[in-house]
Amino acid sequence: MELSDANLQTLTEYLKKTLDPDPAIRRPAEKFLESVEGSQNYPLLLLTLLEKSQENVIKVCASVTFKNYIKRNWRIVGILVEDEPNKICESDRIAIKANIVPLMLSSPEQIQKQLSDAISIIGREDFPQKWPDLLTEMVNRFQSGDFHVINGVLRTAHSLFKRYRHEFKSNELWTEIKLVLDAFALPLTNLFKATIELCSTHANDASALKVLFSSLILIAKLFYSLNFQDLPEFFEDNMETWMTNFHTLLTLDNKLLQTDDEEEAGLLELLKSQICDNAALYAQKYDEEFQPYLPRFVTAIWNLLVTTGQEVKYDLLVSNAIQFLASVCERPHYKHLFEDQNTLTSICEKVIVPNMEFRAADEEAFEDNSEEYIRRDLEGSDIDTRRRAACDLVRGLCKFFEGPVTGIFSGYVNSMLQEYAKNPSVNWKHKDAAIYLVTSLASKAQTQKHGITQANELVNLTEFFVNHIQPDLKSASVNEFPVLKADGIKYIMIFRNQVPKEQLLISIPLLINHLQAESIVVHTYAAHALERLFTMRGTNNTTLITAAEMAPFVEVLLTNLFKALTLPGSSENEYIMKAIMRSFSLLQESIIPYIPSVITQLTQKLLAVSKNPSKPHFNHYMFESICLSIRITCKANPDAVGSFEEALFMVFTEILQNDVQEFIPYVFQVMSLLLEMHKNEIPSSYMALFPHLLQPVLWERTGNIPPLVRLLQAYLERGANTIASAAADKIPGLLGVFQKLIASKANDHQGFYLLNSIIEHMPPESVDQYRKQIFILLFQRLQNSKTTKFIKSFLVFINLYCIKYGALALQEIFDSIQPKMFGMVLEKIIIPEIQKVSGQVEKKICAVGITKILTECPPMMDTEYTKLWTPLLQALIGLFELPEDDTVPDEEHFIDIEDAPGYQTAFSQLAFAGKKEHDPVGQMVNNPRIHLAQSLHKLSTACPGRVPSMLSTSLNAEALQYLQGYLQAASVTLL
Amino acid sequence: NEHSERMKKFKNKGKDAAALRRQRVEVSIELRKTKKDEQILKRRSISLSLMEETLPLGEDKRNEITQMSLEEIVEAVNGSNTELQLQATQATRRMLSRQKDPPINQIIELGIIPRLVEFLNHADQAPLQFEAAWALTNIASGTSDHTKAVVEGGAIPAFISLLSSPHMHISEQSVWALGNIAGDGPLYRDALINCNVIPPLLALVSPVTPVGFLRNITWTLSNLCRNKNPYPPLDAVKKMLPVLICLMQHEDKEIISDSCYLTDGSNDRIQIVVDTGILPRLVQLMARPELIVMTPALRAIGNVVTGTDEQTQAAIDAGVLAVLPSLLRHVKPTIQKEAAWTLSNIAAGPCQQIQQLITCRLLPPLVELLDKGDFKAQKEAVWAVANFTTGGTVEQVVELIQSGVLKPLLNLLLAKDSKTILVILDTISNLFLAAEKLGETERLCLLVEELDGLEKIEALQTHDNNMVYRAALNIIEKYFS
Repeated sequence: MELSDANLQTLTEYLKKTLDPDPAIRRPAEKFLESVEGSQNYPLLLLTLLEKSQENVIKVCASVTFKNYIKRNWRIVGILVEDEPNKICESDRIAIKANIVPLMLSSPEQIQKQLSDAISIIGREDFPQKWPDLLTEMVNRFQSGDFHVINGVLRTAHSLFKRYRHEFKSNELWTEIKLVLDAFALPLTNLFKATIELCSTHANDASALKVLFSSLILIAKLFYSLNFQDLPEFFEDNMETWMTNFHTLLTLDNKLLQTDDEEEAGLLELLKSQICDNAALYAQKYDEEFQPYLPRFVTAIWNLLVTTGQEVKYDLLVSNAIQFLASVCERPHYKHLFEDQNTLTSICEKVIVPNMEFRAADEEAFEDNSEEYIRRDLEGSDIDTRRRAACDLVRGLCKFFEGPVTGIFSGYVNSMLQEYAKNPSVNWKHKDAAIYLVTSLASKAQTQKHGITQANELVNLTEFFVNHIQPDLKSASVNEFPVLKADGIKYIMIFRNQVPKEQLLISIPLLINHLQAESIVVHTYAAHALERLFTMRGTNNTTLITAAEMAPFVEVLLTNLFKALTLPGSSENEYIMKAIMRSFSLLQESIIPYIPSVITQLTQKLLAVSKNPSKPHFNHYMFESICLSIRITCKANPDAVGSFEEALFMVFTEILQNDVQEFIPYVFQVMSLLLEMHKNEIPSSYMALFPHLLQPVLWERTGNIPPLVRLLQAYLERGANTIASAAADKIPGLLGVFQKLIASKANDHQGFYLLNSIIEHMPPESVDQYRKQIFILLFQRLQNSKTTKFIKSFLVFINLYCIKYGALALQEIFDSIQPKMFGMVLEKIIIPEIQKVSGQVEKKICAVGITKILTECPPMMDTEYTKLWTPLLQALIGLFELPEDDTVPDEEHFIDIEDAPGYQTAFSQLAFAGKKEHDPVGQMVNNPRIHLAQSLHKLSTACPGRVPSMLSTSLNAEALQYLQGYLQAASVTLL
Repeated sequence: NEHSERMKKFKNKGKDAAALRRQRVEVSIELRKTKKDEQILKRRSISLSLMEETLPLGEDKRNEITQMSLEEIVEAVNGSNTELQLQATQATRRMLSRQKDPPINQIIELGIIPRLVEFLNHADQAPLQFEAAWALTNIASGTSDHTKAVVEGGAIPAFISLLSSPHMHISEQSVWALGNIAGDGPLYRDALINCNVIPPLLALVSPVTPVGFLRNITWTLSNLCRNKNPYPPLDAVKKMLPVLICLMQHEDKEIISDSCYLTDGSNDRIQIVVDTGILPRLVQLMARPELIVMTPALRAIGNVVTGTDEQTQAAIDAGVLAVLPSLLRHVKPTIQKEAAWTLSNIAAGPCQQIQQLITCRLLPPLVELLDKGDFKAQKEAVWAVANFTTGGTVEQVVELIQSGVLKPLLNLLLAKDSKTILVILDTISNLFLAAEKLGETERLCLLVEELDGLEKIEALQTHDNNMVYRAALNIIEKYFS
């Protein structure tokens, strides 16, 4: 592409089209740009446009396109990778680097930002070696006195240097930093000093101050990056300059810089926040050198906290500042800065208490954005909030001053509660703060699963609970003071391990009652608290709260839970659904009377949400609840399975027909569960579905594979004979599925699950004609891509085959594929790899299978295979006695780590649809070691003398010792 | 026992235990100021000149005479009047001995260095020899360029021959000059060694050598042993080692201090030091209260335990583990750091050595350091814990957790250092592996959550460093979801 007006015109038109809302116009334009971006001069055309175009939109659009182009193409991925050619020719690269800095600096801010990003992307690759004059070019601009230009330079420097904050120390990195320091540190320091001076000369000029403060923020950020890896000599020598000025800036205020916005932080706040970070960096990493300055910063930051208001815009500053104090007060040698009683009192009074107050913004979130409120309050995603920072400070102070701090706060808690008592409707926020204070004071360690696990003993939690929490929850109106109700429920939740059980039992009806509260937060908390209480463990690993204790409340609990799902805003409330699931699981057969109504409501819900599934957790717990209903009911009355099928199949059919992808794996799981409930032959309704399950499209979605395999396994378990007799023509389809799965490294274990079920359940004659083909397929995969996972599954399979069809059959089928194949499999796979098999059942299958090969396979005794007999026995003893070999070759580390195979289809998505671990060997062999001893004994009786002689010649001593142990335990001897 | 015997077959598979040991220098670029308490590699001789300035008034005459301009100096030095030569040389030396801003560059620019070197050979004029030697010593004490000027003036052979001067003060001054040259770096160090500096230098050490002189000799010897890239020739070190070992027994703390600066280096060098049987003495010196003694002794032992398991065992047998606790609790951050570094390398050993570390009660100070130490020391302590969890048996790891390591370790996930964070995350993974073997995964999960570790690990999933973020994600996915 030439740098011609015509090309500029063309490009302008296409850029304009990329902004079109109509995809029919937009997409082809985007495609066109992509197709020409490899041409020479393309980036230069863009740069020309963003500089000279008449239309502002085109300028901006060109700058964004340019930035994205650089991002995609500047980095040369690898000269060796052929399909990733270098799209930017060398002359364009040189031209870009020569022009981009001045261009960036002379552009309006919107474009400057894009170009600055582009520079840092280029810099990441080319700086410093291939762009040696970048730094000098930038530093020279500091002299310009034009702060628009200076800020452009600073912003670019910031994006170039900020990676120093997270990269690992290395020679390369530190060489670069040293270079940057040499060129940049002094000019930056001078600029810093000059800017601060300008701030005082322009103290009355609002617009000048804004620009200058933007510079200071960037300078403070650069300070952070440049000082992050280690304390540079230059900054150590100039610490006085930097720290004195930082300190002054922390204490600075200027009316002109205050903003009216309540939410968005202003320049002053951003600068002070960054300074807090800088001080924290020095305090943490360079304590020795920073010590002389630290007390001053503590005082300044503390004063800052005392004088900063409650508005949201100060949140980041306040939480950074509090976190700074929290980290300092934990350090033994700064203890003295805090230990004075007056200091402590004033920190508690002026820093901690005000930041624990419930603010207008919190109240708003409580009412209008309850989901966010719950997430922050309940799930601890409150890392940057003021309350959280204040809590951390309380905990930090408690490290050295637990007694005094608790004393001071007890006084506050009491006075706040008194305030509340005087006039609850006006002063309810005081009580809220009191509860929050008690919570943070009392909790030393907390987990989601158990709530508070360690409490400060100075607070009497039960007393507080009885006197101040229960009364609120007992009040006649569930809708009065919703925030206090939520506080009270949360108190139960987090102190559930400290409050005695009888108090919890008193609370349960109160919680059930609050499921009816209108406030989303309140009824959600009630549901969540019940769910947590129901999972608590008592002695003997049973639940703490028993079904018998819950008996009086079953009906009202279920009614209120389902009614809560109809309250506005909670139709897909995951906490309520989870509470439903947990209640079912706790109450067990006491829910049976309510099942007809329950299952109707659940299916209606299912039908409704299947139109547009949007809450994955809600959906998950809903399916879990359905599974529980089925299990509990059918356990008492197996025949009830029919009525569930009647209620559910209609919805399931709709889900399958409408291809609701999120739900299909669940549907398969529920169907598996239902099918397994049948005691007799498989019902015809299932058989009608069978051919559809083998359709290739279903198997293309990876999420379907585990539940579908599980469902097919259920078919084979229950209806192998029906399939053999009535659907024999479907067997090739079934094997087709197996063949498809086995070919994939990610899904091969699923293929083996299916194959194992076929071998275990199908009548042998029905699969006879396919057996050899199956083995050939396995060998092909073994040859093409052998992985540890495949080997493990393969070993389990051949041993299962051996158990089912006999050792001789195994030997024959191998040798029929190729002579002496059996010996090769023994020598190259079974003996060296058996140690890798994992899982109890899997190991047992292998042990029994190998025992059969050793003792029931004549060719092992009298052919050339005989030399493998002792090594095989030795490997078997290793399997019994040595730890599992879980080494994985390096190149396999990145294959689907997440799906670890087991003999069972381990798709545990639905816990309550899972089946018990299936042991195909089962009662046949209880103790595989004894079984080995007995089998050897039998063998030795058949050919006396042979066995002991084979043992004595080549079995190693340690293994022999173990074997003797087995023989003794089985009370047999070898002849 | 049998069980652990069998476990051993599978422990640390694929991991090279030696790779855990970390040599002192990871990066050769330094951003920091050079360490203040490191031994000084070059010294200017000013203390003597101060003494001279306070000489009795009666000798003031000499001072007056020596006030000469630079031009006069050049003329006199290059002239043939021996009296003037002496005066000019003395004037030069006095200028160079000035407390503040000695005019080294100007003197070099005068071009008189070759003449001064020549004076060194005037055996019949001891005062001139001495003044020239002193002046050159002070020039060589400056920057590398300054030292270079002296060497290129041909001073090395002259000074070496002066070592055998009958006048002790001249020979002492030569020792000093040679120390400055050797301290410049490996190039001149080896140049000296190649000129056979060692035998005459060692010959000066005798039971009657005065302490002051002995200090200088020791310092020069230590400079001949120091610096790397390359290390000093092995046979040179072997020659000096016996004498240094002797000097280490001296009661003067400066002599001890310098004699402890044994060579850093590869395992074969460590072996030479170990073979001298000096480790017990070094350990003894580590326990001394004086910083200048303790520091180099600790460094030397720290270097030894970067070696093989056997070499590390020799240090353990010498009693290093008994001394480390108090060093880990030392008030000086640098000592804490060196001690923790030493400990981390012992923890990188086989489980028998880890067991000794437990038996000698090193875990409590380690945990304390992790909790309250200076950040530099905390970083090393993190490595110590990481190595412990990599090589320790399950039982040992349990012991580690019981000693309370988890809380401070998890707190350090807030550290502003990506590498430290990554090492902690790896350590947590190791702990989980051990917990899995004991079937205690759930308990460890709870413990980590209780100690606010979970939320810290969760927060690290948004860390800008890719490896950190992946390690955090991996732990969350594996154990907390």
